[in-house]
Amino acid sequence: MAVQAEMPRRPRSAAGLDLLRPGQWLGWVSEHRYWAYFLIIPSILFIFAIIIYPTANGIILSFREMRLTRPDLGTGFIGLRHYADMLDDPVFWVALINTLKWVVMSVTLEFALGLAAALALNRDLPGIRLISVLILLPWFLPNVVAGNIWALMLDPRLGVLNDIFIKLGFLSEGKAWFADPDTALLIAVIVEGWHGYPFFALLFLAALKGIPKDLYKAAAVDGAGTLQAFWQITLPGLKMIIVAVVILRVIGLVNSPELLLILTGGGPGNATQVLSLYAFHSAYLLFDFGYAGALSVVMFVILMVFCVIYLRVSRLTAD
Amino acid sequence: MADPLTASRRRFLQAAGATLTAGMAARTLPAWAAGNVTYWHHFTSQTEFDGLEQVMGDFAKAFPDVTVQQENIPNAEFMAKFTSAVIADARADTSMVTSDRLPDMVALDGLVDLTDRIQAWDKLPFFSDAAWSGITIDEKMYGIPAFSFVSWAYYRKDWFDEAGLAPPETFEDFVEAAVKLTDPSKNRYGFGLRGGDGGQSMLLDVFDAYGALIYENNSISVDVPKAVEAVTFYSDLFTKLKVAQPSAPGDSYRQIMEGFRTGQTAMVWHHTGSLTEISDALSEGQFATTLRPAGPSAQIARVSYLYNGIMSDRNLEDSWSWIAHWGQVDAAIAMLQATGYFPATTEVADDARITSNDLYRAAIDSLAIGTPMPKVVGLSGWMRNSMLPEFQKVLVGSATPEQAVDAMAKNLERTVR
Repeated sequence: MAVQAEMPRRPRSAAGLDLLRPGQWLGWVSEHRYWAYFLIIPSILFIFAIIIYPTANGIILSFREMRLTRPDLGTGFIGLRHYADMLDDPVFWVALINTLKWVVMSVTLEFALGLAAALALNRDLPGIRLISVLILLPWFLPNVVAGNIWALMLDPRLGVLNDIFIKLGFLSEGKAWFADPDTALLIAVIVEGWHGYPFFALLFLAALKGIPKDLYKAAAVDGAGTLQAFWQITLPGLKMIIVAVVILRVIGLVNSPELLLILTGGGPGNATQVLSLYAFHSAYLLFDFGYAGALSVVMFVILMVFCVIYLRVSRLTAD
Repeated sequence: MADPLTASRRRFLQAAGATLTAGMAARTLPAWAAGNVTYWHHFTSQTEFDGLEQVMGDFAKAFPDVTVQQENIPNAEFMAKFTSAVIADARADTSMVTSDRLPDMVALDGLVDLTDRIQAWDKLPFFSDAAWSGITIDEKMYGIPAFSFVSWAYYRKDWFDEAGLAPPETFEDFVEAAVKLTDPSKNRYGFGLRGGDGGQSMLLDVFDAYGALIYENNSISVDVPKAVEAVTFYSDLFTKLKVAQPSAPGDSYRQIMEGFRTGQTAMVWHHTGSLTEISDALSEGQFATTLRPAGPSAQIARVSYLYNGIMSDRNLEDSWSWIAHWGQVDAAIAMLQATGYFPATTEVADDARITSNDLYRAAIDSLAIGTPMPKVVGLSGWMRNSMLPEFQKVLVGSATPEQAVDAMAKNLERTVR
């Protein structure tokens, strides 16, 4: 009698699926409630690769010795030494205070100019589209181009602005605005204000278009003047966009050293040194990536604290 | 009957799996190919680009099977790009190299050791020991000299003649001439002081003229009393004597050259690289060239060579052909004619086109006593990140020379050691 050979048992899951047939268990997963999680795995991996890993790596870097030109020092963990060095580093404190001044003054100026431009553009006047494009032009210019244009216009010998000021009698000779520590940061803020205000104007204008005109008509019937309508209708209508725009702009300004790099290079004598520029110099002039990482972590913490405070304030306001 | 949604999910999974498999199976194509050589440089002016174009044209005739792809990287960002490329292993084949950056580039492991090739190269004897020493670290050679920059001073010959002054030979002569030729009412200043970006090189020369830096065993330290003297001398030109232009603390190359070209300054320090620009703006007899004045400790005539090195060994033969081409007579003459840059090879340095030109006399004299830039790891970063800003503070009155030197020395301790 022939004996039928017994087939080897294939491994199966608790649900009875053949584990050697991926198509079968993938099909099972696709009908399961975990399917949604499965689908977002690529996104999570992507976010991990481009956000979480670099951030974590940057933070870890700040606790390491990482001077690329000094391989003899190794790359070991040095604890909080970079942070301790920072406390003793006078340039760090100057850069921290300058960062604060730079951000507060720039955002204030951009906010004011942007709001004024948005209110002016939110009218049905002839040629308003052309004016809108012209007002937005500075935003289209890269920082490098904007910086060089202004550096030339403010040049003490060739600059058209100095020439105008001399002809108007405000100056007796061409002034080197960026060579004077009393004016360098202020002028850089004005350049930044010119370059950045269209961002505010654009978003404020979009928000203004969303405020119903009936509200203004009703306010007028109730006897409200222009100023009252602005305080009672326009500003509350812009509140959420103001929060969002200010946060985005603060993040942008804290992180971007390009304009100051072109206009002043942080000088004269660190008078316009800001944290982002100092981190850039530490990394790419001194090749001290560990210290640059620690400076970046400080910027990161400042931005986080600022965001949390601002969001809480805006939530309270909304309530 | 199959649920259409489920079927669709399965098809999606099959498609995703197939795509993933295909992606994993696909071989990443190299970004380079044999016969192509990428070249990073930081040329900026039109004349430099004209010279580069001629050199590339000559190379294309000599090596028709090799194509050079040049990429311009702004000088200020060059090391940032270089560092990122080394870290990410996205190197160019070849790159421009300067002596002051060489220690950092080698420490970053960014250049290929070319010692054996250079030692076997038939053009080796045509370059001076000084030229080779600028590209050598620990007896390893990392590039080939392309052309040279010889530091010198430009002065307004017509103004000097008018005032009965001779070109300054010492710092005392220099100050005397600067004071005599300064007349703010005419917007005329004795010296175009470079206090902005790039000014650190001139400051280093002043430090060395005072013997304020001590170089030992590939390291460096500050002689504080001498450094204070050096900073005091150099800053006094602006703060006390007021013989430098009011914009000095922020002025970089463009501003000091503009000041000299437009008749606002009587003297300016630079190197042979700017001769073409000055010659285009001022006529013969209006200006002349001379050696930099001697300081209390030394007369500094910096001779720096610009080199080309190889960053990656993936295309070594073609890369070598390209950088070696820069050492040929035709390439050197092409650059000289386009830019006025001095040849690095002695094969052409005695050429009548150079020796017969009086303006080049100062360069030839400088070559005789010329010293290369010191090669210390971290020096260039310290010069830009500490030396210059601290000096700027003295210029704008927010620090004394003593305070500035103290901060420089403290930073040097951390940076270099």
